[in-house]
Amino acid sequence: MIYRGSIWSVALAAALLAMPSAAQVVDFGKYPDLKGQWVRPPGSPNNWLRLAGPAPLKPEYQKIWEEIQADLKAGGPGNWPSTFCIPAGMPAMMSFYDPAEIIVTPETTYILISHNDDSYRRIYTDGRDWPAEPVPTFAGYSIGKWIDEDGDGKFDVLEVETRFLKLPRSYDISGVPFHSDGQAIIKERIYLDKADRNMLYDEITVIDNALTRPYSKKQTATRNPDPRPVWHSDHCSENNPHIRIGNEPYFLSADGKLMPSKKNQAPPDLSYFKQTQK
Amino acid sequence: MRQRLSVILVSGTLIAMGGAAMAHHSFAMFDNENQIELEGIVREFKYTSPHTFIVLEVKAQDGGITVWTLEGATPSALVREGWSGKSLKAGDELKMTIAPLRSGAPGGMWTPQGTRFRDGKAVVISP
Repeated sequence: MIYRGSIWSVALAAALLAMPSAAQVVDFGKYPDLKGQWVRPPGSPNNWLRLAGPAPLKPEYQKIWEEIQADLKAGGPGNWPSTFCIPAGMPAMMSFYDPAEIIVTPETTYILISHNDDSYRRIYTDGRDWPAEPVPTFAGYSIGKWIDEDGDGKFDVLEVETRFLKLPRSYDISGVPFHSDGQAIIKERIYLDKADRNMLYDEITVIDNALTRPYSKKQTATRNPDPRPVWHSDHCSENNPHIRIGNEPYFLSADGKLMPSKKNQAPPDLSYFKQTQK
Repeated sequence: MRQRLSVILVSGTLIAMGGAAMAHHSFAMFDNENQIELEGIVREFKYTSPHTFIVLEVKAQDGGITVWTLEGATPSALVREGWSGKSLKAGDELKMTIAPLRSGAPGGMWTPQGTRFRDGKAVVISP
């Protein structure tokens, strides 16, 4: 005898199986294992000039860079906005000055970077197009695509393109300049070493109107073997002694007074302060 | 009063520390080519972002005190060399080799390699 309850149970079970499940099962096995703490191998460089050679700057920007280097030699900050706690942005974020963590989800890969205010990137891998009304940011807007290069059913490379990069920026403390039009595009190939899965590479290529050709470097990072690494937090404004007043840099002493950064540097304009008669 | 060194000491180390590891800003504002030696007493060791600081009281030849503001690596970089916020304290007597500010003001850059206690002992034994 078939009970009505059994019929309803079977019907309910059939209905549930027919419904799309809100909790989808993701096959993370097809993505490379990028978990953990990624650090620059001890002693390995990250400077663009060392890894990529001289920047192929157009004459106008070569002149600007020479002026930047002269400013550095005089004690100025050159062209490196993070001196004054402006985020370094791309491509400098991927220089592994400090450790980074890569979190892969099917729609987005997140890169968390413990440097100069704990910055982060979102790399969208959900097939979207570029935004119609982009808002430039220091990290830029990144769209990525996973590539299975060897056809084994598993992704090997994350190809990324980043646009809408906010100025000011440079490549690193050398101060090599970007074009003032803010139209730079950065392309990356991020992948693990086939022989050593604890070695990560990021091939970074900058396409910018200040350059005569694309400018590329290959950045290396290695995975910290500690399964529970320490993550330091870095906050630029906590105790930054580098002050900019107008276009002039100054150094704040431990006793809270302004000091000159450059030789024979004039003090800042104090015309808004009331001048007391002595 | 500063004592000028006649020879550049461990210049490669200071320059190395001014490179990739410390990326908050360029350290070109400090004169690595003309490093100087300071002896003094720690007023404060600031173990902070984005850079650590040693505030050093240096007695001049005339008996006056000059307070030096010395900028170093980030805590996250120092910890890899075995340093912590407790590595130095107020009252510690140090002998340091620093790269001074190009402006001539009493500021500069310090490194672990260029910092020892006045008796010559290392502050931290690097791991």
